[in-house]
Amino acid sequence: MQSESKKYEEETPSLFWGLDPVFSAFARLYIKDIKEMRESKQVPGIFFYNGHPVRQVDVVGIVVHTKERDAFYSYGVDDSTGVINCVCWKNPMVSRSLSGSPSTLSSLKVLEQMKKLQEMVNQKTKLVIGDVVRVRGYIRTYRQQREIQASCFYKVDDPVCDVQISRMLELPCLYREVYDKPFQSPGERQSGPEGLDFSIYILHEKVKDFLLENKIQTFYQQELETIDTLVSLAGEPLSSRSCQVNSKPDSSSKRIHSVFKEAIKMLQEEGVVFQKPSSSKDLYHVTDHDKELLKVTLDVVKEDCRKPRHAEKGCHFLHVLNCVRQNYNPSLAEVVMHRVLELLESNSDVVSTMEGYYMAF
Amino acid sequence: MLPNAGVYYFPWEINSSVPEGETLRTFGRLSCYNLARSEAILSAQHSAAQHHVCVDTRLVEPFEAQLGSLYMVLGEAEHREGENPVIKARILTCVEGMNVPLLEQAVQEQRKYFSERQQRMGTDTS
Repeated sequence: MQSESKKYEEETPSLFWGLDPVFSAFARLYIKDIKEMRESKQVPGIFFYNGHPVRQVDVVGIVVHTKERDAFYSYGVDDSTGVINCVCWKNPMVSRSLSGSPSTLSSLKVLEQMKKLQEMVNQKTKLVIGDVVRVRGYIRTYRQQREIQASCFYKVDDPVCDVQISRMLELPCLYREVYDKPFQSPGERQSGPEGLDFSIYILHEKVKDFLLENKIQTFYQQELETIDTLVSLAGEPLSSRSCQVNSKPDSSSKRIHSVFKEAIKMLQEEGVVFQKPSSSKDLYHVTDHDKELLKVTLDVVKEDCRKPRHAEKGCHFLHVLNCVRQNYNPSLAEVVMHRVLELLESNSDVVSTMEGYYMAF
Repeated sequence: MLPNAGVYYFPWEINSSVPEGETLRTFGRLSCYNLARSEAILSAQHSAAQHHVCVDTRLVEPFEAQLGSLYMVLGEAEHREGENPVIKARILTCVEGMNVPLLEQAVQEQRKYFSERQQRMGTDTS
């Protein structure tokens, strides 16, 4: 029960579904999974496999059950993991008999062609038990049973099971590579908790822009919380989120405070900002604008490149990191050092001679 | 009502341990067909031993029996007299020319994936 409610909390807001490629694709899932997936609470008819919103599916299997109605066929499809009903609407062109007397020779030919086409469509859509079928469509629940509303279906000629075998070989890879991996927005690295929070991510991007555009050197979190454009970002998505999540009695300022804290944490993990042990623990330094750090780093590279053993290749990144830690800040993070060296390189203050080696003149 | 999914079994896995009524699919060469008793035998070679699967063909008759050809059967296991279960075929298709080693590989891949996933779920909940 607890894990159920936890999963429910993790449902991505519908606004972001489109960012997941699975959402706009026909997901090739095992029928077992199609029948067991959790339906979205926000939008019925959308289902979640491992956090991925699924709208449409694509299945291949053997027809094990058939039922004919006036307007549709209902086929039970078995892919060896599960059996699901597929509602396949009859093609109105096929069910309507072509009548009328052809007046000219050319229209007679057209009529003949049409009849051939009808036969062809009939062959491909009228299935019997034992046929292999491919169905694409939406999932819906009818009388408490999940079924696929086919938007496209046809009989697969698979006399030696090639199609079924290749699909069986393909699906485990597809699952491992796509469906079983949690969706991450582009730019989001491994950081962040499992249920990724886009509002924090967006805020962190905006804070970064703000710090860099305004050439801010140091700041306190409280200072950022006075900037209206940033606060509105932290407030809005959160309040919409609290509608779906069981909202705790939490004042909005407290929530804003925690969102800012998370966003700053992300910036720290990226090396955009860092803290110094010598200064106040709430003070953050912006890496790009910390002249002292840039200068110390450049001096280390310059000085060591004069030494004969570094003269040829330049100094290695870890060597620079060690020296800067000794001279400047013993707890300096590796990501910060990377960012500093990238910045120095883009300013042509240092040159990287090979992967991980830097030189200055 | 829909039937259960026909899980892949290799012919050499069809023995007394298969649960009664289990829906399964398997394959083999049609080595014998007794029309009077509606009984077919599918045979397969595996690690130097010959394995036979007995198939009840009552539900799929009439069918064109091509002795020596490869067949795929889908149906329910039924324990009658004798050691191994009989498969009551719902579907019996000739798949002569099928790449059997590749099918074996595909079945193994699918099993491997599901057992990996099972393990992952097990560690997640604990």
